[in-house]
Amino acid sequence: MVPGSNTPPFTHRGWRIWPGTALSLCLYGLGMGGLGALLWQAPAIDIQSLWSSAYLRGVLRFTLWQAAISVLLSLAIAIPVARALDRHRNFPGRAALLRVMELSLVLPTIVAVSGLVAIYGRQGWVTPFFDWLLPSQGWNLYGLNGVVLAHVFFNAPLASRILLQALENTPDSQRKVASQLGLGSLWLWRTLDWPAIQGILPGLAGLIFTLCFTSFAIVMTLGGGPSATTLEVAIYQALRFEFDFGRAALLALVQLIICSAVWLILVRGKTDSALMPAQAAMNSLPPRPDSRGLYRLMDGILLPVFSAFLLLPLVAIAIRGLPGLSDTLLSGQGLVPATVRSLAIALPAGLLAVLTAMMILMIPTARGLGKLAKLGDMAAHLPLIIPALVLGTGLFLLIRPSLGVSSEGLVLVSLINAIMALPFILHLLRSPLNGLDYASVRLADQLGIRGWYRWRWMHWPRMRKPLALAMAYGTALSLGDFGVIALFGTPAQPTLPVLLYQQLGSYQVSAAAGTGLWLILLLLINFSVFNLIGRSSRSRGLPDA
Amino acid sequence: MPFRSTLLLCAALLWTTSAMATDQLTIYTHPSFAADWGPGPAIKEAFEEQCDCAVNLIALESGGDILQRLRLEGESSPADIVLGLDTGTMETARQTGLLAAHETALDRLNLPIEWTDPLFVPYDWGYFAFVYNTDQLPEPPTSLEALINAPDDLKIIIQDPRTSTPGLGLLLWMRHVYGDKAPEKWAQLKGKILTTTKSWSDGYFSLFMNGEAPMILSYSTSPAYHMAIDKTEQYQAVRFDEGHYLQVEVAALVASSKNKALGRQFLQFMLTRDFQRHIPLKNVMYPATDIGTELPDVFGKLIQPGKTLYFDPATVADNRRSWLNEWLDAMTR
Repeated sequence: MVPGSNTPPFTHRGWRIWPGTALSLCLYGLGMGGLGALLWQAPAIDIQSLWSSAYLRGVLRFTLWQAAISVLLSLAIAIPVARALDRHRNFPGRAALLRVMELSLVLPTIVAVSGLVAIYGRQGWVTPFFDWLLPSQGWNLYGLNGVVLAHVFFNAPLASRILLQALENTPDSQRKVASQLGLGSLWLWRTLDWPAIQGILPGLAGLIFTLCFTSFAIVMTLGGGPSATTLEVAIYQALRFEFDFGRAALLALVQLIICSAVWLILVRGKTDSALMPAQAAMNSLPPRPDSRGLYRLMDGILLPVFSAFLLLPLVAIAIRGLPGLSDTLLSGQGLVPATVRSLAIALPAGLLAVLTAMMILMIPTARGLGKLAKLGDMAAHLPLIIPALVLGTGLFLLIRPSLGVSSEGLVLVSLINAIMALPFILHLLRSPLNGLDYASVRLADQLGIRGWYRWRWMHWPRMRKPLALAMAYGTALSLGDFGVIALFGTPAQPTLPVLLYQQLGSYQVSAAAGTGLWLILLLLINFSVFNLIGRSSRSRGLPDA
Repeated sequence: MPFRSTLLLCAALLWTTSAMATDQLTIYTHPSFAADWGPGPAIKEAFEEQCDCAVNLIALESGGDILQRLRLEGESSPADIVLGLDTGTMETARQTGLLAAHETALDRLNLPIEWTDPLFVPYDWGYFAFVYNTDQLPEPPTSLEALINAPDDLKIIIQDPRTSTPGLGLLLWMRHVYGDKAPEKWAQLKGKILTTTKSWSDGYFSLFMNGEAPMILSYSTSPAYHMAIDKTEQYQAVRFDEGHYLQVEVAALVASSKNKALGRQFLQFMLTRDFQRHIPLKNVMYPATDIGTELPDVFGKLIQPGKTLYFDPATVADNRRSWLNEWLDAMTR
């Protein structure tokens, strides 16, 4: 590797190191403070119980097993889909498919699960087909099947979306050469695609692993019974029903250790991704050589099947939600104020998350600072690994006298939502930010283009799109959030997800289905608007990415 | 300018939460109670008319969360009243020592059991029951025993006793009927359980109303809502011969409250008609007092359990953990 080949934007070293490092340290402080407060309040900590309990061993085994399968399957689907989408940049409906892919991760669990059940459940649309495929035992959603299916539904599209972004950053010149040489699919994979994604793949696997490892409501609803229990469930139980702070903190610690270990193993030795030079893709390329013939046919099957996999549950949700939505819109049952309230929390949260992620990503990776950069990366993942409930309870113990349940509460909710969105945003921004090619950076150095100018003319054209996508994710994750806001308690006026849960809790099934659909539409609008913002005037009208 | 007025309205909504009125009565409760269509707003209005105070409802996720929040805040809690605990969480709440005596006359109560507790005032009650879809299951099993012995193609949805109130209710129900034999019976029931959801809502919304299984663990009063509001008789509760387990929902005064007199006034108000008349259809439970003709007609069509099953809250608190472990063993073997 050439030293300095990934010089990040603001070129003054101090500016690049300190804000990000300070923020990372804050995150560590927050995480350790939360855990520490619980441990400190716990009367007695029974470490022995960890090893001696057959129940906990079973929980741990299941948690690891389902997470590992979910990661493998998600990536096994995400990679071919991303390649197929990279091969075909102009087919009709591609932009819509991308929006739907962005959507799946941020769907509120209960709504997504009801959609999945409508398709794959006992009365599901495709269940007869599966039963026909498996005549001996028949298809059963409830169990490991359902858990993994739901996890793939949530995570494969996210992975595919991030991988596609990396594939599209392959420089045009290389694509042209490959096209002239008439390389086959295997060779393209070895020379262009694999180098483009190998840097981000381990981090992505770590992200999905963590998401599945800490999964909760999905595992319980679709798992079939208590033999499908994740560590997160045990933590919830300890905190909410047994008020056993010590046990909760201990279990959270176990979760922290396992997830960080997996994460460290995966990203070992890789301080950075996207080392290749890249330019803003102009999309005026000749088609990839492997977009014809047999591959065209295979993609012609893969992409529609994948689209159906994503779309069918959404269609089911829409059909179920339409009557309720029209009723609520007509009666004006608080849907609009709840929407405004949700946006007032989500937009600042998105912005904050993007700014924080940028500062952490700017910590230089070269010249012995690789460890620091890794530390920052780790910090950004803490909110995923430490259960929100543990973090929230611990922080509550620390700051309890000063915490109000009014407007300050909402500011806090926004802040925590921003922190929760951080890991996703980090993955979205990493490769575009660090992927500026060496020659351009050298040239800029020689010409003395630094600071704001460097940002405006070199990074902004490349970052505009990823930043918009990151903003969209940050906002969307917080729009769909129920956990954080429920943790702090809401004054009677609800946000959209709270409204949804209120309706669910009081038999208003049709209204709840309507609110769920409204939330999905809002998320779609959110992604579309940010996508429009992300398209620079130059690339407007060109194929979408 | 509709847009501008909407904005102003929303800004106002966001701000009212921090606005200070004369005397504030802060009540911790759960989301469905505080919802626009729940009993909360009507009750708030009725009480504010007679108390010269402002009622501030704070919704927390569940009864467990109310208790948790109270424990975390301890002496510095801004809450005056906690409303939404039940017979399953009562004892733990009592042991925190954070609650004060209600000093309310309980003679108006109309519960299936005698109630003399000095700390907790009941505001509604109901029986746990299995609700079934009459279209899918014309002849449901009519006893717990029959359900346990039913063929495995009859599927039911239950909730997890580790995370859900009705889930814990079924655990206690089974224990009450079968005593030490409960784990065996659970093992027999296992084949019928389609899935065990985290909360009542997850099961009711995602699965039961999607037609995934014909029976779900719920309340004997659930059909009242479907009959009165949805105007359908499709969902009915089934009466079990062994009797039904009772849940009583309670409120209590917080010991650190600076408005104890006002708090006690609210607890007394809770047992008057102005409060109780909102319970049947807005909280879908039985009112804690006799409200005579104000009880909606659909409540007359609900099942009448032959026997009320009930463990003393102290017994529940003492045994919950070991009963849960038995259940886990039986279900994961």
